[in-house]
Amino acid sequence: MLEIKNLHVAVEGKEILKGLTLSIGAGEVHAIMGPNGSGKSTLSYVLAGRAGYDITEGSIAYGGEDMAAMPPEERAAKGVFLAMQYPVEIPGVTTMTFLKTALNSQRRARGDADLDAVGVLKLVRAKAKTLNVSEEMLKRALNVGFSGGEKKRLEILQMALFEPKLAILDETDSGLDIDALRLVAEGVNGLRSPERAMLVITHYQRLLDYIVPDRIHVLAGGRIVAEGGKELALELEAKGYEHIVGQAA
Amino acid sequence: MSALSAIALSEQRRARAAALVNERGLPHRRIEEWKYSDLRAALGEAGVGAVVAEYLVKSLPYGMDVWDLARPNPPAWVTRNFAHESGNTMNAASLALSDGGIALRVPRGLAPAEPLKLDFTGPGHLRALLVVEEGASLNLVEGVTAADFRNVGFEIVLGEGASLEHMRICPALDNAVLVEEAAVRVAAGAIYRGHFTGFGARLSRMELEIALEGAGAQAHLSGVALLDGARHSDITTHVTHAAGNTVSTQLFKHVAAGKGHAIYQGRVTVAKGADGSDSRQTAKALLLGETAEADLKPELEIFADDVKCAHGAAVGDLDAESLFYLRARGIPEAHARRMLLQAFLEDAVAQIADMDNRELARTELLTALEAVT
Repeated sequence: MLEIKNLHVAVEGKEILKGLTLSIGAGEVHAIMGPNGSGKSTLSYVLAGRAGYDITEGSIAYGGEDMAAMPPEERAAKGVFLAMQYPVEIPGVTTMTFLKTALNSQRRARGDADLDAVGVLKLVRAKAKTLNVSEEMLKRALNVGFSGGEKKRLEILQMALFEPKLAILDETDSGLDIDALRLVAEGVNGLRSPERAMLVITHYQRLLDYIVPDRIHVLAGGRIVAEGGKELALELEAKGYEHIVGQAA
Repeated sequence: MSALSAIALSEQRRARAAALVNERGLPHRRIEEWKYSDLRAALGEAGVGAVVAEYLVKSLPYGMDVWDLARPNPPAWVTRNFAHESGNTMNAASLALSDGGIALRVPRGLAPAEPLKLDFTGPGHLRALLVVEEGASLNLVEGVTAADFRNVGFEIVLGEGASLEHMRICPALDNAVLVEEAAVRVAAGAIYRGHFTGFGARLSRMELEIALEGAGAQAHLSGVALLDGARHSDITTHVTHAAGNTVSTQLFKHVAAGKGHAIYQGRVTVAKGADGSDSRQTAKALLLGETAEADLKPELEIFADDVKCAHGAAVGDLDAESLFYLRARGIPEAHARRMLLQAFLEDAVAQIADMDNRELARTELLTALEAVT
């Protein structure tokens, strides 16, 4: 589903990713772990198509198609979803209006008819319940005044609503207490399916206790320096990044 | 008593106004208050002329009085309130150079449900007077039409405990030069709400001279400007807290694209003895592109003790992170930009108390936003 080959990415002329290669098949859950500044967020942004993240070498193919020149909205319509580390607050746009606009934009791009307000509301309500997202939250301006946990829950709600083929979760665990983490992880696990690929990006092993990956890649200095099964997370937790990164160097 | 019009009755004031205009000449950019709106350059050889502009009452609520200012023998409520002294050059010009216009009154205690719809049309100068008497209230929807040049001197008088919601929508008028001064006097306990939605003209200047004259008087000013092409919009306000416990709020949001030029100049004066006054003033502008311009100038002059005053101004660009967030969720760029612009303007639009007026402003803005994004 996702084929990244020898990817080099520069931000404001500074190279952050330096030859990253990664392949994820449908139904698989992969984790990217790495210390601060290793390029984790850069990877998530370049996959979602954020401006200013320039691919200087290598390629990203999604479903066999080159993603490099695709605008973010086209990626979204084709099933790429990035749950962001810091969801932005947008005063003046209510959460429900945003959800409806996003959902219908994606549908339109795929050639499907718009859902009316009632149809969207029903769909959102059904998903919101399991994620403990209240009616009151949906009426508020997007992410404005939301706690860290509420913001992350809303990200997962969107993931459930848009039903992406490739979901990227960027530090979804950051800023969550253990109860919120469990709730979010349950939401994510509920979305695991044979058609859906997931890339879980995290600094800590903690999240991977709840979302158990098929494969773990360690990112350091803009490259994958180690790979392994889920047991690699435990080794990282016990010995620290220093040890693994040092060995690889 | 001989048959004299209101304008003739105030012949002395008119003569003084003419002297003021002669002494100062047409406002130009080297006069600080007109720095961003060079009227002299915009009018060129044609100058201000001495033509009388027209008015059109599109809807008059039952119970209101109307008086054409060119008619002889005006009633007392007109002579009492008409042509108050003003130091404003263009206001003086509208008095000196025009012998026509309209006076309207909402009699004491009357609160019509339907709005007063009033348009100013045609080229030239015009005087208008609106008196909302003690305890009365009104919803005024002011319309603006194209003209090579029009200068309106509008006097608004609110009696004790009166209330007025004044909404003015100025459509995009590429070739028009429009100047209007609304001088609003607010008595004790009365509330003036003014909302100004503008899409710009070759030169468009709306000046508001607000005097909070009685204890507890309030003025709430808000507006949005959405400018594209080479259109210009200047909102200049001067709020005077002349009495104690008076309140004023101002919230203006401007968006300029292309070579659009948005201006907000707001001065708040708290006079000596106007203790317990509360004033808030916010102006923000978004610039879409390198050639757009915004000038925001809030000012405070405080001569009283024990007052609460806050002001702020900020010019920025559309937030890149917000734009990316919306696009990453599948919303096409143009639509995402529109959503963010609408969101930026929304709190100023939300100041409009009347639901119909608010929806009208929203609809106009939405249509214009489609063109900018």
